[in-house]
Amino acid sequence: MEEIQTDILILGSGGAGLFAAHHAIDTKPDLDIIVAAKGMIGKSGCTRMVQGGYNVVLHPDDSVEKHFYDTIKGGGAINNQKMAWTLVNDAPDRIRELETKMGVFFDRNKDGTVHQKPFAGQSFDRTVHKGDLTGIEIISRMRDQLYAKPNVKAWDEVRAVELLLDETGRTAGCLMLCMGTGEFIVVRAQAVIVGTGGAATMYKIATPSLEKAGDGMAMCYRAGTAFLDMEMMQFHPTGLLAENSRLNGGVLEEGLRGAGGYLMNADGERFMEKYDPERLERSTRDRVSRAAYMEIMEGRGTTLEGVYVDVSHLGKENVRAQFPGMVERCQDVGKDLSVEPVEISPAAHFQMGGVHVDENNRSSIEGLFVAGEDAGGVHGANRLGGNGVCDSTVFGARAGRAAAEVVTPGGEPAAYSLSEVHAHIEAATAPLEREEGENPFYIRNDLKQLMWEKVGLVRNEKALTEAVEELQTLEDRVNRVKVGGGRKYNVSWQEYLNVRNLVSVAKMVAESALLRTESRGSHYREDFPASDDERWLQNVFVQQGKEAWAEPVEPTHISFEDVSGHKIERPAGVK
Amino acid sequence: MEKVQVSVMRYEPETDESPYYETFEIQPKKNMTVLDTLFLIVEDQDASLSFRCACRLGMCGTCGMMINGRGRLSCRTKVEALGSEIKVEPMRNFPVIKDIAVDMEPFFDSWQKVQPYFVPKEDTDEFSIIPHDDKARQVIDKNTDCITCGLCYQSCDVVSMRDGEFLGPAALTRAHNLIADERDGATHERLEKVTGSEGAFECHSFGACMEVCPKGINPMESIQKIKTKKLKKTLGLKI
Repeated sequence: MEEIQTDILILGSGGAGLFAAHHAIDTKPDLDIIVAAKGMIGKSGCTRMVQGGYNVVLHPDDSVEKHFYDTIKGGGAINNQKMAWTLVNDAPDRIRELETKMGVFFDRNKDGTVHQKPFAGQSFDRTVHKGDLTGIEIISRMRDQLYAKPNVKAWDEVRAVELLLDETGRTAGCLMLCMGTGEFIVVRAQAVIVGTGGAATMYKIATPSLEKAGDGMAMCYRAGTAFLDMEMMQFHPTGLLAENSRLNGGVLEEGLRGAGGYLMNADGERFMEKYDPERLERSTRDRVSRAAYMEIMEGRGTTLEGVYVDVSHLGKENVRAQFPGMVERCQDVGKDLSVEPVEISPAAHFQMGGVHVDENNRSSIEGLFVAGEDAGGVHGANRLGGNGVCDSTVFGARAGRAAAEVVTPGGEPAAYSLSEVHAHIEAATAPLEREEGENPFYIRNDLKQLMWEKVGLVRNEKALTEAVEELQTLEDRVNRVKVGGGRKYNVSWQEYLNVRNLVSVAKMVAESALLRTESRGSHYREDFPASDDERWLQNVFVQQGKEAWAEPVEPTHISFEDVSGHKIERPAGVK
Repeated sequence: MEKVQVSVMRYEPETDESPYYETFEIQPKKNMTVLDTLFLIVEDQDASLSFRCACRLGMCGTCGMMINGRGRLSCRTKVEALGSEIKVEPMRNFPVIKDIAVDMEPFFDSWQKVQPYFVPKEDTDEFSIIPHDDKARQVIDKNTDCITCGLCYQSCDVVSMRDGEFLGPAALTRAHNLIADERDGATHERLEKVTGSEGAFECHSFGACMEVCPKGINPMESIQKIKTKKLKKTLGLKI
């Protein structure tokens, strides 16, 4: 087995991973850095899939205080305030860096200044974008810049299997798998930065890129880090419905609602009038998604169990000019977004929860940094549209700088245990050896159905308790998987590794959701349908080998009394 | 819908003497794409089939392949548009890793050769003021949607005939985007890089690149503009 030594190993090549690479090498140009992804570098992950844009304060009439307030209010006031404050303050630097150093070109106003568009849940139009496919431009230009930095090596299709620690619990590196050859590699590193993205793909209808499987979160869990807010799973209100196809759940961007699009049930009613009469469709994602789900559950959904998004009243030419990517996407299901309503459903999208880190992305494990969707805290109970790419770029950069500070170019990484490595390899390869067993794709389908039904948009104690038990059954099935074929570029074998991680993350989600006996943000308990600030201005924590627990949120920058409208006040529309 | 026969090229270069084809029967349904059929094969019929994909929405540019003889993104190719027989093969001009999955290194080697990264002309942190109807931007903006899927590269006969010794349509388009970008400071350097023996003047204007591009980009236009700029530069005119 090959063993390679580097200074910093970065897992994932989304906004977090690539910004980490750039800032680490810019901090110490002599470092040796590897950035590895299970897809191709810059082509996997969800930053590339960002459509709408990037929330950032640039206009003199806007302020970081307003952006901060919006973020906390949108997050149900359980955000880590230090992280949220860092987010809004660093974002202007990162967007300028993207435009003036990386070469991204964002859309302009007539007068040549940068255009900022309206997004839901925001008190100011602050979303910078490039058409309706912003992420492709951001990630492509960041990928291009890596060619200017030869000390950063880009490893395509090499996935992380297990983090390696030394005897004292310090980071020693990572066991990797080269997917093309099927060979394992031990990468020894003084620091590891995890940014592989979340696991929303565990739900029946989901928006993310198919390869995402919460790998980083699952590895961190097994390595022993604590997690917070794992019950907070965001559902995007407008996932395109495409039955029989993996196109299903592809996002129709937030800007459709921002620009004045209507959401309608099968009876043609603009149902948001009942749920949030003030903000209507421009309400936050959690509220709009839940409203749509309730409409569907109460029998006012379409035949495909969805609702409609309608932007045709904005004018055919206008829609085609403003949302060309979305028009194209709807054509794939035979619909013309510019002239007719399109069937959509809430779709699992983003995990607000994740690994417990500080505002420099340090985890509790020495030398282990976590950034982007894998880390928790900044978004609280619900993330605002446009704050996602903001998060991954801001905290990716911080993780890169923080990691660079603690490593020495050419320094000796901590020692790993070879016997542990062998045990990890044995577990990973067991399905290739079995004569018969479970099909990993079928387990994934069962997981997606289970999570949708019992740990979905509307939850209750009974369903969650059942889910916890059934997830155990699924985990047992994962341990009996058999895959055919050899090791080389084996899609089924990769699916086994994916589903193993997805089930681990799913267990954290269900367990956390059971503990939070109230409703807040994206977590809605029909048995506790209102927010309970007396008891639940708290974060739920989970950690391997421990019972879930809760800890109070620290109001370091704004007091809870000063945040209004963050609570779910009334069980709107519920029977 | 009637069942379709999906014939897939199988090839493991280290062990197979030559590629061969296997046919799988699939029940097509509404909305189903070629990518969906490949998943159905791997889930239910043959777990060992290799192919690459990520976003499934035409954004990542990793599922390019030859479908009924033409380069396409499998995630955006509808089964119902293809008839009762579908032939799936790897992109040409790339080494096969296994079956449909190819090594995209030749494409990105070319990409790297054009100095694909922005080199700021000025050391500034401020957004440049560029009106949205700016002429140069209009040329660039038509071409910035490239998802580096490699379909133009695989369709390019010059790439095939010269065994990869041609930068290819996408890399040249990227280069032109930077050459035309008034914010970039490496214009002259880059213009030299893309007008050498592997560069723009080698294009034979077959136009296959434009035909196959899933994003509607016309690389020939950028290539032509590079040629014009180089000629102007040679004549001492402003480029």
